[in-house]
Amino acid sequence: MTESTDSVSSSDRSPAGPSQSPADGSTARTVTRARRVHPATIVAWIVVAVVVIALPFQLQAFRVNQMSAWMTIAIAALGLNLLTGFNGQISVGHGALFGVGAYTAGLMIIKVHSPLLVAVLAAGVVCFIVGVLVGLPALRIRGLYLALVTLAVATLFPLAVEQFNSLTGGNRGLEIRTEQMSSRGFMKMLPVRLASPFEGLADDQWQYFLFLAATVICLLLTRNLIKSRVGRSLVAVRDNETAAAVSGVPVAQTKIITFGIGSALAGIGGALFAIDLGQIYPSSFTIVISIYFLVAVVVGGAASTVGPVIGAVLYGVFSDVVIPELPDRLQPARAVILGVLLIFLMLAAPGGLVGVFKSTKAKMTIRKAAKAASANAAA
Amino acid sequence: MKDFLQILIVGIGDGSVYAMLGLGLVVIFRSTGVLNFAQGEIAMFSTFVVWTIHDLGVPMWLAVIGGMAGGFIIGAIIHEVAVRPVGDPHQKPLAVVIVTIGLFLGVNGAAQLIWGTVDRRFDPLFGSGSVNVAGVPIAWQKIGAMVVLGAIAFLFFVVFQKTKLGLAMRAVASNSESAGLVGIPVPRLLMLGWGFAAAVGTVAGVFTTSVLGGLGPNLMQLTLIFGFAAITLGGFDSLVGAIVGGLIVGVLTSTLPRYVEQFEKMPLAPAFILILLVLLIRPQGLFGKKDVTRV
Repeated sequence: MTESTDSVSSSDRSPAGPSQSPADGSTARTVTRARRVHPATIVAWIVVAVVVIALPFQLQAFRVNQMSAWMTIAIAALGLNLLTGFNGQISVGHGALFGVGAYTAGLMIIKVHSPLLVAVLAAGVVCFIVGVLVGLPALRIRGLYLALVTLAVATLFPLAVEQFNSLTGGNRGLEIRTEQMSSRGFMKMLPVRLASPFEGLADDQWQYFLFLAATVICLLLTRNLIKSRVGRSLVAVRDNETAAAVSGVPVAQTKIITFGIGSALAGIGGALFAIDLGQIYPSSFTIVISIYFLVAVVVGGAASTVGPVIGAVLYGVFSDVVIPELPDRLQPARAVILGVLLIFLMLAAPGGLVGVFKSTKAKMTIRKAAKAASANAAA
Repeated sequence: MKDFLQILIVGIGDGSVYAMLGLGLVVIFRSTGVLNFAQGEIAMFSTFVVWTIHDLGVPMWLAVIGGMAGGFIIGAIIHEVAVRPVGDPHQKPLAVVIVTIGLFLGVNGAAQLIWGTVDRRFDPLFGSGSVNVAGVPIAWQKIGAMVVLGAIAFLFFVVFQKTKLGLAMRAVASNSESAGLVGIPVPRLLMLGWGFAAAVGTVAGVFTTSVLGGLGPNLMQLTLIFGFAAITLGGFDSLVGAIVGGLIVGVLTSTLPRYVEQFEKMPLAPAFILILLVLLIRPQGLFGKKDVTRV
């Protein structure tokens, strides 16, 4: 837990994003260096941990399942954030990689009968390779144009899945069945599930904790990556490519590796998503899911380590808990609300929730420092 | 040969629609530097406006004009409320992309809220009949699309090259800062640009309904990609490019699937390959201005 505690304060140290005014960024940086981790932050993280662990025991099974799905989105959003938030390569097509991961895992399980963990890792590896391949053209295509290409990829992906229907099952979907011991005691092909090895833990709770572990591992991985030399190169390339190249950052290599890792995370998220649902359709991976990843990243805060996870959870609460309360006729309101929210965020708080939190904190520290200074002067 | 001619003409007809959507995209890109991902959705929305007006018993052509006016207002409002406040797209491309994606979601959702998700029947603007030219049947609707594209192109030419308003708009597109300094009301012209784009998009939407055989909230999602392919090929800042690019993309997407089996179910694939290749090999497209950055 101490590591995660650190992540909140340490992300302050990363150079300020283009949307943040330089004044904000520099104060935040100097302030953090001078200060140890605040006890309040530790307490906050402990509370989060306790809540996250206690929730599956308090809620109904279908809610626990929904939360597992949120985590798959969170993992993919972490990957997108690495690519778009930290490296500045805008992708509107991350849902396609999520889909590649889901189908890879599904096919691995069905055709090769691979263990689930192997299938998930294979999805990560395949998506890493696909990501590197997609990243190659991105060396020449950037900014808005890259967004355009990825948008086309996102639109194309479900159609491609339908095209190769002999492999993917096309519109009928891909049912992921494995050989399992049926309740009557003989082996049978049944929809994939994660059977809990513990007495007191239901299947859905077991799955929740496995997915939680995966999310935490991916979160720590991205955080450590960002803090490393590679991470600093990512940000340097985003902020000024020429300057980065002049300082000796291998720009092309950095961009391609980011594409690979960002895609691998999307693939892992997609693989878990496929295992969670047990059946996948091309319609699950349209442009819409790509947009949801963007929503998660932007709402939480682009270029902050925990932002995408916060964003994914908020998005999950919004779409699985709040929206179903609306009458059927008003269901499309979900898209309207999300759209307006996105625009409003970009106008009012481009740094997302984490950005708002950071800038308020920085302002409070400045005020405190000013007060202390005036008190000193008076004395 | 007859077959080929027929496909070719269908391609030019469809291409005219892509060109119309492309013209709107170019007008916006030239003046504000925004690749408007919501262009298709705005067009879909104003096509629903056309449908609603027509549904009240107004003749179709009048309804289309009404829808264009509606589209103009919607486009102008969107620019004022959502796009202008974000700031310079060259400085923060991510913010601008997110805003247009937000518009994409929001406009689509709004259309679903108002008109539902069931496809509506939409009468073809030029009827469903066809005419025989040298033994090749050509749908009136396709001829109509070509004629309307010609009319729009002529109108654009007159407005941009022969009027004071057009001169001012070209000035803004070429250098908005200098344009502002010589007294051109830049923000108002940008707003007009967004309005024009949405109005032309309405016509593209109306023609797309006859290609898809109905009007639903997903009307323009594929057409938008074709429109983007058109302006990528023609050059993002070239009006002529949008028209030429649109026609080429239309012909490619109608003829290729006939000869390459793999494209049959995926007419989108050639468009995608085209976008990718042009951006890689000649990013400025056929008629576009080369992007030069000073270090």
